[in-house]
Amino acid sequence: MNSERHLLIPKIESGIVIDHVPAGLGAGILELLRSYAGLDDAQITLGLNYDSNKLGRKDMLKIIAPELPKKVLAHLSILASGVTIKRVDNYRVQGKYSLQPPDHIEGLARCINPNCISNHERQASARFTRLGETSHKFRCAYCERVFELDELDIVLP
Amino acid sequence: MKSDLISMNDLDLADIEHYLDLAHQVEGLPAQERVRLLAGRVLMVMFYEPSTRTRLSFESAMQKLGGGVIGFSETASTSIAKGESFSDTVLTCERYADAIVVRHPKEGTARLAAETASIPIINAGDGTNQHPTQTLLDLYTIKKCHGQVDNVRIAFVGDLKYSRTVHSLFQALLKYQGVKFTLVSPESLRLPGYLKLSAEGRQLDFDETDDLQAALAQNDIVYMTRIQAERFADIMDYEKVKNAYCLEARMLAGAPANLKVLHPLPRVNEISPDVDKSRFAGYFDQVESGVIVRQGILLSLLGVL
Ligand SMILES: [Zn+2]
Repeated sequence: MNSERHLLIPKIESGIVIDHVPAGLGAGILELLRSYAGLDDAQITLGLNYDSNKLGRKDMLKIIAPELPKKVLAHLSILASGVTIKRVDNYRVQGKYSLQPPDHIEGLARCINPNCISNHERQASARFTRLGETSHKFRCAYCERVFELDELDIVLP
Repeated sequence: MKSDLISMNDLDLADIEHYLDLAHQVEGLPAQERVRLLAGRVLMVMFYEPSTRTRLSFESAMQKLGGGVIGFSETASTSIAKGESFSDTVLTCERYADAIVVRHPKEGTARLAAETASIPIINAGDGTNQHPTQTLLDLYTIKKCHGQVDNVRIAFVGDLKYSRTVHSLFQALLKYQGVKFTLVSPESLRLPGYLKLSAEGRQLDFDETDDLQAALAQNDIVYMTRIQAERFADIMDYEKVKNAYCLEARMLAGAPANLKVLHPLPRVNEISPDVDKSRFAGYFDQVESGVIVRQGILLSLLGVL
């Protein structure tokens, strides 16, 4: 037993770590990952409520998979932008980056305005555009309402 | 590529001025010349909810340009009542016409129509979202009254919280230089804070008051709107404010000589009929401007001007 920290977060030999997940969001990410074919039977470890200097409390996921498909990352960037994605090989972190909010969202989230045509016509698939480079606000292409990223209703595959 | 007119959010200042210039150009044309411009063309009006005023304005605009108008203004007797999708209706209607005007109770419908059709689409109101021809005709009326939109002093009066017309015109005016606003409304119907932002997201400061009389003395345009009883949870609150926002001719005694009173119409009792014959009444001229602005838009989208 070297440290408590070691006990709490078992290392993986190779795979992907999703770190700095705001506490409470981990389960939602797990649900998202498991809804993707190819990831549904991957080995995933979910840890909840770790101490974090940055966030106070954080969740973390470790996935035994060579990579996360682009579409999964696009989906994750809506649900949990700001998390850190780390690539692990041979027990070492080989690369990491902070997941940024997308500039455009198409087909991955529903508009929460019940009177928006995208919720009524199959041909109108909801899409959103980021208002500015540093903004977390997105405008629906149809009803033109502006939403915070975390207000959007994620569509699972 | 075809052009549509869906939202004021799609237009920058140059685009807006382009439409206002076109209207000015149309207004200068003799009627006998205008009536040849769209001969043989057909405009389809697809109105999923009634709006007689807007529909008549478009019909007048098209017919005075020599074109024809077909369409529907309610859906009970159409194939929509049989369950046809909106997209299918658009794909069918575009085979009958050269351009389509859409009004629909759901937000985003005009955008969907524009994506679906290969002919120009004009938004005549999509739910609570946009009604760009109304905003353009308001801007044109202001420009006609004062020669320019820049530096105009405008008071918005009445229901500033829910009025789509006010929100859209307000946002368009923010694109101009030096426009001075006075926001006159009861406390409970103030302009929403999210609208009071600059293009860069800076919070802007406005003169907010519930004193209509004082606002009349220091503005060039007074834009009146109707206060609807159903906006109030307590009918007593409505009774308290409704008369405070009713404009009468005697209140205009000390107003600037060139002040104009505008209103998107229909009015109920927020402008007394005794204002109609005064030099301040601009709301019926506004109706006429509506036809001219829509003619400019039709000519532009159909590639004539
Ligand atoms: Zn929407």
